[in-house]
This record gives sequence, structure tokens and C-alpha cells, in this order.
Amino acid sequence: MKSNIPPFLLDSSSASSQMRGGGRVDMSYLEKGIKGFAALFTEGYAQWDLSSKKSFLHDLDARIKIVFWILMIAVISLKRAVQPEAAIFLFTFTLAALCRLNLIVFYKKVLVLGFVFGFLVAAPSALNAIVPGKVILPLLTLSRPHEFWIYHVPQIIGITEEGISIISLLTLRVLNSLSISFLILYTTAFADIIKALNVIRVPDTFLIIISMTYKYIFTFAHIVSDMHLAKKARLAGVTGREEARDWIAGRIAFVFKKTQIECDEVFKAMLSRGFSGEIKFYHYRKITGKDWSTGLCLIAAAIAFLIMK
Amino acid sequence: MIQVRNIHYSYYQKFAALIDVSLGIANGEKFAVIGSNGSGKSTLLQILAGLLFPSGGDYLFHDVAVTESTLKEKKFLRFFRQKIGYVFQDSDIQLFCPTVIDELLFGPLQVGLDREEAMDRAIEILKMLKIENLKSRPTYMLSGGEKKRVALGSVLTMNPNVLLLDEPTNGLDPRTQVFLMELILALNEAGKTIVIATHDLSLVGELHSRVAVLSEEHRLEKVGTADEILYDEALLLKVNLIHEHIHYHNGKAHSHLHSHYLFHKH
Repeated sequence: MKSNIPPFLLDSSSASSQMRGGGRVDMSYLEKGIKGFAALFTEGYAQWDLSSKKSFLHDLDARIKIVFWILMIAVISLKRAVQPEAAIFLFTFTLAALCRLNLIVFYKKVLVLGFVFGFLVAAPSALNAIVPGKVILPLLTLSRPHEFWIYHVPQIIGITEEGISIISLLTLRVLNSLSISFLILYTTAFADIIKALNVIRVPDTFLIIISMTYKYIFTFAHIVSDMHLAKKARLAGVTGREEARDWIAGRIAFVFKKTQIECDEVFKAMLSRGFSGEIKFYHYRKITGKDWSTGLCLIAAAIAFLIMK
Repeated sequence: MIQVRNIHYSYYQKFAALIDVSLGIANGEKFAVIGSNGSGKSTLLQILAGLLFPSGGDYLFHDVAVTESTLKEKKFLRFFRQKIGYVFQDSDIQLFCPTVIDELLFGPLQVGLDREEAMDRAIEILKMLKIENLKSRPTYMLSGGEKKRVALGSVLTMNPNVLLLDEPTNGLDPRTQVFLMELILALNEAGKTIVIATHDLSLVGELHSRVAVLSEEHRLEKVGTADEILYDEALLLKVNLIHEHIHYHNGKAHSHLHSHYLFHKH
């Protein structure tokens, strides 16, 4: 075997002898993207870790939590005043605190998403040019009012009382929907959420597809991160944008191919374990008296918010 | 050449993978890291390859600390990646080019070799690995053994001084295993430093290397010669690399320590 070793492999001096300096390597968009992708694991782990803690909401049967969640989303959407929405916000805050969630991490996520999808989306409606109303903060005075197609631009453009009320209501609705959803997500294991969707008559086949998809997102995120490490191990410089794009395209094709193969293998594994077209889920433990009483308190709270003026 | 001092690593800041591990590897040495599944062998190898960074402790390569920051220095990055080649346990993730020849050319072109020299290297490696017939084949159409050869070849074309091999013989047929072992020994004789992570004691015996043993608690239990480690029954039992095995001889059941290597004795 020794005689087969090519001469270049016997030369140990070929590697660059100058070790330091030469400027710094910028992190490419590819690396940033892969890092973001790898954050999926951490996120998934964080959800699993948080959902496996102990508190009254963690211990509550997932089916009751799903019913409570759906009821609360309906109540949040139906309320047309700021006060009940603010009360729901405080109620959710109290629940999150009682569940000993990290409130800073929890509300950082809720507030960022609430700002983007609630406040920013609703912000233009604060102006009287969009929604007519009583101006409380004038911003711009034009020489005269303008008429344009179906729009009327008033002479004084400013923030209206009605606009502020609409923004507050919409932002609070989004914040409340997000906080109640994150609360359920952080106190319930993903597998339990999927099984509990049975109570709203989501078909088993659909549920198994969701759970397998969720699992394979992590599997493929893992594969992509590992492939990136494998490339990094052989990369002695900076990758050009074009080359990075080629690599991504190649990897998408590879992951697609791998998905196809994996799909066939999973189907064979299902057949070998008796699958014959109908999926049967393992169903739940019985709902205990404690679950019923906690559930009734939560549902009573939801109804109280519904009738609150 | 390689110095690891009191390194710690944990996944998601929760699951410890390495706790207070210190070791040194000299130039041209054969070195094996052994331990049961999940003991941290692959993590240690990935740290040595500069792919993961320890949360505590130091890793020095040629007396330069290998950190995220030093690996952003262009010259050190090139020096480091040229000197250290890492062969992954799963060849599938390592092979990312369209064909076998593209795979072999990727590394040399990255380190700045001209196309002709890179092609010469790739052809020589194809011959050495006896895979000339696979030159234009897509990598997903290779068998497990072929993939392993191409993965090793893709690193060898960069002519690294250190070869880090993660479970190199896992899942390979006996003939390919022998081929790979002979190749690894020949590369070591040619001056390459070989570092292998494995739980296969027979591989350690054949390699006759210095050995570091990782425990199931992710700590370094012992570093010694292959003989010192392989004949230390108590140590191997403790780190779960040998086990009590019951079987029949002439219709009589009996038990003994079993490792598929040294301790299958009656």
C-alpha cells in the first residue's frame, strides 16, 4: 500500500507556512442563513425544555388547553373595546408568571411580533387621511383639502382619537393572541398539542402528517447544518456569492433527493409495522378531576371576558 | 502540535458532551479516541477540526489558539484548513459536489492550486483508492464503501498533515475495512498524523496507537498505549466498551467478558 501513496501526499511542506494576518474573513450570507437554520434546533429544544417543566398549566390536560386556547382566540377577536383586551393581557401575564416562564424572553418574542404584525400594520389608520375622526395631534397643514379619486385628503392631517383607539385595539388583539398561543406552546409538548387537536375533529391522517413534517424539519435542519460543517472543514478561504448560490442550489437538490428516499423508507417502515391505510393514534389518559376543575376555572375566565363591557 | 487544555463543551448549554478534557497529540502520531456511544468522541474531533468551539478551556494548534476569532484571520484559516482534514462519520453529508471528480477537486481549488495540479492530484487519489471507474458518477449513486473512499479522497487531495477520522470503518464490509486500515497505516508511515474516534477496539489494536478513553460521563478517563488500554479490563468495563456475555458451549451456558476483540477468551 505504501508504494501506492502519491508523491504529493509525502510532501508536508506544501501547506502555507505563514500562519497569521492577511485580514479577516467576513461571515457570508450563507453562513448567517445556516446559523439561523441551526437556531431551529435551539428553538425546538427551548420549546421542549419549557413544555416539560412543572406548573398548573403544564400539568393540565392538553385537550382542555386546546379548548381554552380556541375559546380565548374567539373572545379576543370578538371584543371591540380596549378595556377587556387590556384585562386579557393582564390575565395572560399572570398565567405566564404563575407558570414560571421567563417573562423577559416570553414578552420579548410577543412584543416584537406584536409590534410588527399589530402596531405597524394598524399605524396608518391613526391618521385622519385614512380614518376620519377628531384630530388630537396635528402633523401637517396643507393649503387646502384635496380630492383624489375616492380619497379625501383633509387640510389638516393628524392623529385622531378614533385612530388611537383602533391602533390600541388591534395591537392589543395581536399581542393577546400571540401571548395566549405562546403560553399554550410553551406549556405543552408539541406531540401532545398534535394529539389534542383530535378534540376539534382534525383527522388522524392530517395529524400524523403534521407531526412527521415537524419531525423532518428538524431532521433536515440537522442535515443542512452538518453539510455546512462538512463544507467548512474543506474551505480555506471565502466563498464567492455565485459559488455560495451554486452550493445552496446543489444542496436543495440533495435534500430533495434525500427526502424522496426517506419518504420511501418511512413508508416501508410503516408497512412493516402493520400500516394498511388507516392510521390509529394512541389516545389519551383520562381527564382527571383536577384537570376538569382547572379547565372550568379557565373557561369561566374566558366567558367573563366575553361578557365584560 | 495539538494541545487541548481543560476543554468543556455542552449542547444547548444543557447537555454536557465534554467535561474538563486535556490531551496532546504529536506530529506524525497515531492517536485513537475511544468511548461508548454519546461519550463525546465526535464532539472532540469536531473541536479539533475547528468546527465547534469549546465553551471553556483552550485548544492550541501549532501553539496558536483555535477560536472563532483566529479562524476568521484569512491566513490562519487557510493554514488550519490545509493542515487538518476531517472525514465525517456520515459520508452522505460530506459529499456535496455533483460528481466524484468534482468532489476530489473541490479542496485543492479552495486552497488555491491551479486547475492542472488539482486534476493531477485528483487522478492520483482516484488510482490510490481504486475508484477510477467512479470518476464521473454522481455521489448519490455510490455504495456505502465507495462513498467512504470518496469522502477520504476529497480530504486527501488537500494533502493535510492531520487526518481526523470519525468512526472510519463503521458500516463497511470487511474487505473495505481492511483496505481502509491498510491505507490509514500507510498514510501514517508517510508522515500523516492520524486521529481516529471509534468504539471498535479491534481497530485500536490494529492501529496500535496511543489511546484516549472517554467515559460515559464525558470525562477523559485515561490516556495510554494501545496495550495499556486494551488489557485494562476494569477500565473498559467501566466505560462500557466491554460487557458480560452469555452463550452456549457444548450445550452449557456460560458467561465471560466480551468485546469482539481481546476479551473473548474462555
